[in-house]
Amino acid sequence: MATRHVIVGGGTAGHNAINAIRQEEAGRAPSEIVLVSAERPYSRMVLPYYLGRSIAESHVYTATPARLAQLAVTTHLGRRAVGLEPSAGKLTLDDGTAVPFDDLLVATGSSPVRAPVPGVDGPGIHSFWTLAEARGVVAEVETGSHVVMVGAGFIAFTILNPILALGAHLTIVEIAPQILPRMIDRQGAELVEAWLRKHGVEIRTGATLAGIDQVGGKRRLRFTEGPDLDADTVIMATGIRTNLGWLDGSGIRVNRGVVVDDHLRSSVPTVYAAGDVAEGKDLVTGAADVHAIEPTAMEHGRIAGANMAGRSVAYRGSLLMNIVEVCHLDVASFGRWDDPKAEMVTTVRPDRPAYRKLLFHQDQLTGAMILGPSADIWTTNDVGMLKGLVQSGVRLGAWKERLRRNPFDVKAAYIASRTTGRLLPETVLGRPSVPPAVVPSQI
Amino acid sequence: MRVLKIVPERCTGCLRCELACSYMQTGSFQPSRSVIRVSPFEGHTSYAPYTCTQCAEGWCMTACPVGAIVISPVGAKVVKDDQCVGCKLCTIACPYGTMFYSPETQKAFKCNLCSGDPACATACPTQAILYEETETADWLGSFAADRAERRFAVMAETSRGR
Repeated sequence: MATRHVIVGGGTAGHNAINAIRQEEAGRAPSEIVLVSAERPYSRMVLPYYLGRSIAESHVYTATPARLAQLAVTTHLGRRAVGLEPSAGKLTLDDGTAVPFDDLLVATGSSPVRAPVPGVDGPGIHSFWTLAEARGVVAEVETGSHVVMVGAGFIAFTILNPILALGAHLTIVEIAPQILPRMIDRQGAELVEAWLRKHGVEIRTGATLAGIDQVGGKRRLRFTEGPDLDADTVIMATGIRTNLGWLDGSGIRVNRGVVVDDHLRSSVPTVYAAGDVAEGKDLVTGAADVHAIEPTAMEHGRIAGANMAGRSVAYRGSLLMNIVEVCHLDVASFGRWDDPKAEMVTTVRPDRPAYRKLLFHQDQLTGAMILGPSADIWTTNDVGMLKGLVQSGVRLGAWKERLRRNPFDVKAAYIASRTTGRLLPETVLGRPSVPPAVVPSQI
Repeated sequence: MRVLKIVPERCTGCLRCELACSYMQTGSFQPSRSVIRVSPFEGHTSYAPYTCTQCAEGWCMTACPVGAIVISPVGAKVVKDDQCVGCKLCTIACPYGTMFYSPETQKAFKCNLCSGDPACATACPTQAILYEETETADWLGSFAADRAERRFAVMAETSRGR
């Protein structure tokens, strides 16, 4: 069994792997864990709340120095991995340090990509991905300033509320014909766009950025068509790419991400991968995919950690899911919500607004989209039940027809299909979960 | 551990559990703020309450990016208000639909077993909700399925008769 684990990346996947290793080891001699992380570990997911001033910066940190000490983790913080030689069990850092390992977890996540046009690296133009970048935006956005968000994907949408709450004017520009193109369909997007316009947000879809000029202390955005836009602050939310470059020459098989088996092991048995960099099994399709979402990073990290600690745990696969709330409107999607081969039913109440889309293969729900006011409590409950129906793959039988007739009535179908009974024995690690903050007392 | 055991055949649909729950959780008698929910079955001839099973995985707990959901001394998964940022990840992670979110406080909330003295069980006049040392289970599935089958059968006959 490995006695020296090296975790490369202190994000969600890396943090969860460390916790899982220590949980598995409870009652036996602890192994050595080394964490290499370019940044102090924090939760990217909560940066929008830091931007909105609803939490302090101290609230974003996950594996604090105290916590890492409790877990007996030695660290190389502020260092990046630059080379990996699996056969020699050697990781090389950017300061030349060689870190030996018995096994290693690749959890280096992804980085933001800016639109490939002139002027995108000038002052007043930010990505919103790292804590350092979030600090840059926090320092600039203020009441009355005009913020232009380039890109209308999930990350962009997580920071609409804080920007508006700070009293800034917001314009969203998106190259695709609709907002949230990888999270919801056209009909859902139109409802969200109308809702945002009602809340004072300007939206330009189908707009291709041509360049950004610095004009009189402001940013002037030029487009291939249509008028220019002047902004105090520009946020580039134009996508991410996986941080894989440092694995060149390592011999590890990489496709769109590090290809992993159902134990999160790469093509090299001593190297695991988890989170945004891993190309693992999708629960619904069974095919390999890069999800780049928080819940997948968390589950990947736990599975990889348990396996690194010597217990063989197979992973069922990750369920693609996203939820975002904008101006008290919840928007969520699960599984294969865009599957052209699925049988599909939609229903819309534009006045609420409320929208549901359910996708079936035979009598199983394989994807879902749900949109409704946050104040509708049953919307929140239905969000979870739709997730449960997709996750469990429960056979709906006659209830499928009922769901088709009224996609707003999920609960009866959920309960009577005995979904709860299907789900109760299910755990990610094959045992009851331990709260993440618990430190096994043996360490 | 002790869990909320639901005996749906005993439920009269009186909603006392919802009132007691909302009062205990929020200090006001508002079924809309209750984390136990009574649903009608078979055309409002039967009722049963539905709430968090305190499942072994704790999907809400493992999903929380800031560790704001923990296990309380009585074994309930509970939201720590001062830690929750309101990101809603727990609401999509929980496959049972038993996470709630308050737009007022902008925090998630859920059944916390009232620290070991669940108000719903105390309030139930027919012992349809028990707080017992037992394995948690799908208390409603068969009850709901039986009642639905009867209704589906009748509806199928009716449509054939037309």
